[in-house]
Amino acid sequence: MKRSDFKRITPYIHEIPQSHRYDMRVPARFYADGELLAMALDDKSLEQLVNMTTLPGIVKYALAMPDIHQGYGFPIGGVIATELPDGVISPGGVGYDINCGVRLLASHLEYEAVKPHLDRLASALQANCPSGVGRGGEVRLNRRELDRLLVEGGRWALQNGYATEMDLECTEENGRLAGADPAKVSDRAKKRGMDQIGTLGAGNHFIEVDVVDEIFDEQAAQRMGLFPGQIVAQIHCGSRGFGHQVCTDYVKRFQTVIHKYSIHLPDRELVCAPLSSPEGQDYLAAMKAAANYAFVNRQVLTFLIRRSFEEALRGKVHRTTVYQVYDIAHNMAKIETHEVDGRAIDLCVHRKGATRAFGPGSPVLPDVYRDIGQPVLVPGSMGTASWVLVGTEGSMAQSFGSTCHGAGRTMSRSQAKRTIRGSDLREELEAGGIHVRAGSMAGLAEEAPTAYKDVDRVIEVVHNAGIAKKVARIVPAAVVKG
Amino acid sequence: MSDKQFEVVDHTADWAVRVYGRSLSQLLLHAAAAMNSLMVADLHALSQDEERHFTLEAYDAESLLVEWLGELAYWAEMEQLVFPHCQLQHVTDTTLTATVRGGRASELQKHIKAVTYHNLAIASTEVGLEVTIVFDV
Repeated sequence: MKRSDFKRITPYIHEIPQSHRYDMRVPARFYADGELLAMALDDKSLEQLVNMTTLPGIVKYALAMPDIHQGYGFPIGGVIATELPDGVISPGGVGYDINCGVRLLASHLEYEAVKPHLDRLASALQANCPSGVGRGGEVRLNRRELDRLLVEGGRWALQNGYATEMDLECTEENGRLAGADPAKVSDRAKKRGMDQIGTLGAGNHFIEVDVVDEIFDEQAAQRMGLFPGQIVAQIHCGSRGFGHQVCTDYVKRFQTVIHKYSIHLPDRELVCAPLSSPEGQDYLAAMKAAANYAFVNRQVLTFLIRRSFEEALRGKVHRTTVYQVYDIAHNMAKIETHEVDGRAIDLCVHRKGATRAFGPGSPVLPDVYRDIGQPVLVPGSMGTASWVLVGTEGSMAQSFGSTCHGAGRTMSRSQAKRTIRGSDLREELEAGGIHVRAGSMAGLAEEAPTAYKDVDRVIEVVHNAGIAKKVARIVPAAVVKG
Repeated sequence: MSDKQFEVVDHTADWAVRVYGRSLSQLLLHAAAAMNSLMVADLHALSQDEERHFTLEAYDAESLLVEWLGELAYWAEMEQLVFPHCQLQHVTDTTLTATVRGGRASELQKHIKAVTYHNLAIASTEVGLEVTIVFDV
């Protein structure tokens, strides 16, 4: 892929025309400035973007967000919409970590009041929130209870004392996708999921205590209860081994299903089935179960974070409670209605490493956010800023109500491991006033900030392109990594 | 082809390895060795007191490779069991029977979330077989 393969639509939108490759069904669009475009040419992410355009039933264009990087099948940062009833759903287009997402919690505390106790808070978070490979959580489920959880999602957490009504109201889909069917999920997925509720896992997942650094939209920030100097917390994780196995099972099953429906694809990871087919419906029902699992996972971690704030700060600050600002998914396929070429049509919107960003007025938003647009949570790389945005009319018109999800990697994990020492990085972060708790130093090195793009630059692109609007920038004070 | 069993290939978000083998059987064994080396730094330190037998079936040779590695990744996630000693009793393009021996790792340095099909194609070379596997980590 070369720069000359792109046609500039606006300073922030670059298009690969349908004529670029014989099997493209629609053009592809990439949201980027000149530098981010040049960076994306370095790996295979833009070829993967072109591959997305070959999926049957795709409408308008395949989209890539400015945090795009090479994944498998879809690139990370990819969005497509396929038209119902016969457009396809692709498990690989959702990814293995189904409903990986981000939750933002806010305290009533200012940084200066918490600063002397941050080390204690970081230790409490690490002790209470299990992380790393193979560490089970404190929630013990039998098969029947797990099936209930898969169907009920956030409501299961509410009934079992892990959530408040307000938490659910401020969660995408209220923490529950209707139509989840445990019968469409394998025994192996259930075994993997049995003791992993309320656990962080490994890789790029984290819990972070942050400070609100700057407010860009007073009205939206006020609505979310955010103010400069405030202590907030983020959770980044998903459906753990349960979701990984659901995706594995259906990518395997769909290897033969594509022949039944005469679907030809450039990469076996893109396998898919028409949404109208029994196989497509089975995956959708299993994916929803995994999505509900992930909502509960982040909810139980929220419960454990509340416990950590209480344990570490009780008697030291005036109020230890935290409330939920919002919770978003960034690996998911959703059935949504969007206006395309002047008509409202039902679509299956795949967002893989991309965030739903519904604009003001959307009926699915909670009352408190309906007039400002959906909160969008964009974590940066470890040690750098994260962002709170809101969805816009522009995201509804241009990108099927979608925007970016993070900073986006630019350096391979093996290169990061070769060039960065985890212990040096830890010292550097600590010297910058960030308290670090990590399960493995090698894992820490792979997630080094230099392995990622500049998140502020990514945010400038989505803000200027109009597919999200800046609300607040937050910076880290303590990081707990799996 | 040299005697090289596998090599790590740069991949922006995940881990990729290129694996070599003179036969499908050897390719499967070398792929397991590659994945084990991602998960555990010192494979020699593992005990050999755990043994598992299994039979796997798949649609084609690539699917069989994914199933095989997926089975090993499953035991690593569930019980921290890593099996450096693998014997394949019977291998065709669509089935295998295996006996694997190893032990519990005190710590896994890498969590293999999934074995992907991304551009997965076992290629014939002048001296055997070659495949690049991308792991979701």
